[in-house]
Amino acid sequence: MKTKLTLALLAVTLTGTVSAQMKPEDAIKFRQSAYTTMGWSMARIKGNVEGTYNKEDVIKAANVIQAIANSGMGALYLPGTDQGTGWEKTRVKPAFFTDKEGVAKVAMAFNKEANEMAKVAATGDAAAAKEQFGKLSATCKGCHDDFKIKN
Amino acid sequence: MNGQRFRLWDLPTRLFHWLLVMAVVAAVVSGQLGGNLIDWHGRIGLFVVGLLAFRLVWGLLGSTYSRFHQFFPTPASLKAYLRGEWRGEGHNPLAALSVFGLLGLLTVQVASGLFANDDITFTGPLFDLVDKGLSNRLTGLHHWLSNLLIALVALHVAAIAYYGHFRKQQLLKPMITGWKEGEGEAARGGGIVALIVSLAVAVTAVYGTSGAWLPEPPPPPPVATPDW
Repeated sequence: MKTKLTLALLAVTLTGTVSAQMKPEDAIKFRQSAYTTMGWSMARIKGNVEGTYNKEDVIKAANVIQAIANSGMGALYLPGTDQGTGWEKTRVKPAFFTDKEGVAKVAMAFNKEANEMAKVAATGDAAAAKEQFGKLSATCKGCHDDFKIKN
Repeated sequence: MNGQRFRLWDLPTRLFHWLLVMAVVAAVVSGQLGGNLIDWHGRIGLFVVGLLAFRLVWGLLGSTYSRFHQFFPTPASLKAYLRGEWRGEGHNPLAALSVFGLLGLLTVQVASGLFANDDITFTGPLFDLVDKGLSNRLTGLHHWLSNLLIALVALHVAAIAYYGHFRKQQLLKPMITGWKEGEGEAARGGGIVALIVSLAVAVTAVYGTSGAWLPEPPPPPPVATPDW
């Protein structure tokens, strides 16, 4: 009886794991949507540091980037999703799935600067925000250079 | 210094050369580092547009040895040069290939950069004239060509070192002073009118590629959006 119950539980757990596994095309869509949303936020910060600085606006944008940076997006890079189409064809390089160390390095650099951006935004210091925006966008570039296909 | 010397490179050619050296170094560094420097990368690119446009016109109107016609390489002149039979001053046929190669490559490089994007927040000044797909392809080309450009510059510098060391030809000094030791026909032409015309074309080229003439986007009409 006990064994049966355990087996049943195990079966449920396994099925659960399987059904929680998202579809590759969804994973790619989530990725692309997250980057697009960060694109909106980056443009928003840039508009503020180059024009009239609105503290609240920058805080909102920086918080979005920070949240996405800390969301564990790595989970969206399922094996086999080096190819495939979400909203559009994925532009990730195959190296992203093999060079684990390299990816971890650029991901951590981005994470650090995204957290710092949110911190700086909270102070409302426009000059500091501009400088931090530069550091943050350099970490975007760090990953694009190595792991994003430039057509 | 008692030996003979003659005028080889006119001042505008030398200024062009050294400003281009500085601009290319600054462009490569700012392009590699990114961040806030990317805005400077764009400005430097426009400056290079001006330099190239200037050199193009100066190659027609400038003084003797700066004219494209004077050093345009042909299969015959290249063959003669490789056999050691070429006699002349200024760019030798092989060096002329390097000159045209570098100018051509830089032209494609700045042209592609005008439409490029970095998928962050930077776009070239003429980005709005093309769709994103084309911009991406041009960006890819821009990245790829930057490696080729660095390689060509390295070859250019290595060739100068080679000529200095093994052929005992000082190429660097004339590009700085304008004078070359020895006998030769002095450069002529390239007066003030030619200079003004070349500068005018350069300024026009920078204006044209800066996108400053693009119609200003109409001021956004006041729209009501939800305030959450």
